[in-house]
Amino acid sequence: MVFFKYDRRIFQNFDWTLFALVLCLCAIGVVNVYSTDFGLGENAPQLYLKQIQWVIIGLLLMAVTFLIDYRAIAQAAYVIYGLLLASLVYVAFFGHVANGAQRWISFGFFLLQPSEFMKVALIVVLARYFDDHKSREPYLLREIFIPFVLVLLPCVLIIRQPDLGTALLLFIVAVSMVLFIGVHWKSIAIAAASALVMIPLAWMLLKDYQKERLLIFLSPESDPLGSGYHIIQSMIAIGSGGLLGKGYLQGSQTQLKFLPEQQTDFVFSVFAEEWGFVGGVALMFIFVSILVLGFRIALHSRDLLGTILAFGVTALIGWEIIINMGMVLGMLPVVGIPLPFLSYGGSAMASMLAAVGLLMNISVRRFILQH
Amino acid sequence: MEAKGSFRDGPQPAEFRSRLRLVLAIACLAVLTLTARLWYLQVIRGEELKHRSENNAVRLRAVQPLRGLIMDRHGEVLVDNRASFDVLVMPARDFQPQTIVQKVQEIYKTKSLEFAPDQPLPAAIKTHLPVRLEKNVDLDKVALIETNSIDLPGVYIGVTPVRLYVDGEVIAPIVGYTGEVSKDELDYGKGDLLPGDITGKTGLEKILDPYIRGRRGNELIEVNAFGRVIKNLGRIDPVSGADVVLTIDANLQRVSWEAFAGLAGAAVAMDPRDGSILAMVSAPSFDPNLFNSGIARDQWNQLQNNPLKPLSNRVISGQYPPGSTYKMIVAAAALEEGIITPETKVHCNGTFVLGGRAYRCWKKHGHGPVNLHRALVESCDVYFYTVGRMLGVDKIAQYAEKFGLGGLTGIELPHEKRGLVPTKDWKLARMKEPWQQGETISISIGQGFNLTTPLQLAQAYSALANGGTRWRPRLVQKVISPEGTVLKEFLPEKTGEVLLSQKTMTLLGQALWGVVNEPGGTGAAARRCDADVCGKTGTSQVIGLPQNEKARRSMKMADFHKDHALFVCYAPMKNPEIAVAVIAENAGGGGAVAAPIARKILDAYFEGKKQQQAASLAGKGAPAGT
Repeated sequence: MVFFKYDRRIFQNFDWTLFALVLCLCAIGVVNVYSTDFGLGENAPQLYLKQIQWVIIGLLLMAVTFLIDYRAIAQAAYVIYGLLLASLVYVAFFGHVANGAQRWISFGFFLLQPSEFMKVALIVVLARYFDDHKSREPYLLREIFIPFVLVLLPCVLIIRQPDLGTALLLFIVAVSMVLFIGVHWKSIAIAAASALVMIPLAWMLLKDYQKERLLIFLSPESDPLGSGYHIIQSMIAIGSGGLLGKGYLQGSQTQLKFLPEQQTDFVFSVFAEEWGFVGGVALMFIFVSILVLGFRIALHSRDLLGTILAFGVTALIGWEIIINMGMVLGMLPVVGIPLPFLSYGGSAMASMLAAVGLLMNISVRRFILQH
Repeated sequence: MEAKGSFRDGPQPAEFRSRLRLVLAIACLAVLTLTARLWYLQVIRGEELKHRSENNAVRLRAVQPLRGLIMDRHGEVLVDNRASFDVLVMPARDFQPQTIVQKVQEIYKTKSLEFAPDQPLPAAIKTHLPVRLEKNVDLDKVALIETNSIDLPGVYIGVTPVRLYVDGEVIAPIVGYTGEVSKDELDYGKGDLLPGDITGKTGLEKILDPYIRGRRGNELIEVNAFGRVIKNLGRIDPVSGADVVLTIDANLQRVSWEAFAGLAGAAVAMDPRDGSILAMVSAPSFDPNLFNSGIARDQWNQLQNNPLKPLSNRVISGQYPPGSTYKMIVAAAALEEGIITPETKVHCNGTFVLGGRAYRCWKKHGHGPVNLHRALVESCDVYFYTVGRMLGVDKIAQYAEKFGLGGLTGIELPHEKRGLVPTKDWKLARMKEPWQQGETISISIGQGFNLTTPLQLAQAYSALANGGTRWRPRLVQKVISPEGTVLKEFLPEKTGEVLLSQKTMTLLGQALWGVVNEPGGTGAAARRCDADVCGKTGTSQVIGLPQNEKARRSMKMADFHKDHALFVCYAPMKNPEIAVAVIAENAGGGGAVAAPIARKILDAYFEGKKQQQAASLAGKGAPAGT
């Protein structure tokens, strides 16, 4: 398989709309992170500069995932998945620890979070698996056992970090993909029913103090000192923005640092406080447009691999948006999922841009692939 | 173009089209819901929330949980909680810590009290968390702050539970101490710790921390412009930690401590039937209450730099040459290996010569002809030099290890030491030198390279007492929830077997009984009227003594060169239920110093048992000590 063959159609049919929308989001993200820095005066950590660096690194990664034929990438799926799984094992033993979580590999001047890249790698490996095991019939339970294991391994390692949010997201995205590809309705019923039975059963076997510790372990954010305060401050920040917002760099919740985690998970609260309902809706519109484009790429792909891959990536972006916003708006529990392209965080930014590269890759190659 | 292609295998694009439509519809619905929520917050409740943001007054107050109690085997509370009062300030808008501190200082001055900040104020104030100005203040200050609260906006008295160690020094080596969570613990913890939380730092407080810590509660409050609480927005109560029941007998623990009366040393009492530790003291010790709200630097330095090491638990981390207490093991080895019979006699004239060097018996003019029984009873060194040389160092080591020496006993406490059972291989590997015959001579009376902890000795003699079982020494019986249900029970565990013939066991037992109860026995000071104690004295040299008599005398002057006194025993002879190991550092002979301490512990044990039996007869099973 040739990894990269120059073809001028790659650039003729480049998906400018998707690219522009994503760049637009990244720009909003940098501008927004600047605002969280602003109130700190001279001591500001200048995170927006780091964010710009990560966008550039992400764009380079995107170029790679865009230029190499996605079928070649799928060929290497198991290798990429294995390497990331190994790095998750490494993290479990030697990872960098911060705030009670062991999630990062330290390279001295920067930290890498393998679980962020695992999100994309898992989508690729699942797409590859289902492409290898094509079936005209809906899949049965035993046929999706191997994909189940492929999902379970990283999930267990990530829960141990502990990072329940990311593990849950991996699982939800994988389930979405499997349902999309088509599972026999009986299999769905059996899986759902057994899950419904197993969970309370396992729960009953635990002793009280074990349950309690499990709850704390699984979601440290459920700690009363954390989330209640986060949510209240987040809702005050968003609500106080009103229809038109307080204006850029004018958000009092943000500038006075009442808002916790404002560069990362609660970045939307910052945006909504300063740009108001109008800004919020505009942002939602961009997000929805990206989702529509993503699903269209899935629909128009010339092969099954491209369809599944494009669907998986779009589902990942979609779920992250919905879970993050639901959490920030006080509709879902605080689980620690970043907002794609906006939250501060290098690994998340780089992996999401790489994922978009895959989307554009599939998009452009429908003009090149022949049956 | 989408419909005209079809995949060679697998589902058809047409199927995906309908599924994608559904997915998109769901996504749009979700986004619409989010938008509706955004509308609700920003437009419908916009004014209200804007108002709240302008005088954002929501603050968070942690409510610390009560740590679990630590109780002795009869339910007597050894470690309790008490209230500690801190002076805190809730930051308001334009909060200036310096001005507040000045005001507090002025108010203190009226009653000539000193303001004693425990730490520099944090550089960056988190607007939603209270700042602590002073901790663990006395009631005078509490009253002063409360009565002047009008002049001190936002300042309030916080009540947090801290540990109360009832007999601090007596139990410190077992329970350890607590303190505020450290930076390392915050980073490497499971993420459920916050600055200001209390964690166990050493001993059982540390080992059992997950059980006894409990869970922090939380208060969400609204304050006015002066930082005063105007509304309680919700509270989650803290959950108390679980209580711990130890195997320790509080009374025996106190008696053991008092028996040292200023001497440095350690004692441990163990039930040979299951390894339960009844008492464990290490002297000198420290007061764990000092650590409750952060120990002062000079107090800490004093503890750290004290040459007597009050912070260490000598029972598990003090390593001493076992001295003559080791002879029991050499005797067991010699009998089992068939090197001697009970009748074998050795003539002791006070010295044993090997390679041109004279090794002395402790009795200058010798014991005359002695057999094994007399050799143990009178602790004849020459007899064991002779037997030890015949056995060789590696055979002795083999039996020492059977008795658990040179290995961890597996007690719950951290920082346990292994001690040392030397072998030829060990010396070659460690010192790159071959073994010398003369070293075997020292080894046979428990000197030389030999090192044991008092706990190992107690375990070894327990194994002899109970017929050959090594139990893991056990301090914790069970962990119970505040409601009284048992959360975890720690059962006795066998860690090994000492396989000796019944004949050897009987012989050794009789000899150890003789040590205490026969005329000429070195352990007479431990004799009780019931004549039921079996034991062995030991006197271990701290440094090698010069051959020259004069030089030896001049050296004995220095206190820290004096011998360590040891005594290890068990009682009653038939069906033993308590084994005791005592070491008194630089105190002199084992028979003179250590045996009386052991006797006090034994007396207290049997006295306590008698009282308990009487009480249970009188009160139909009412537990003693409550």
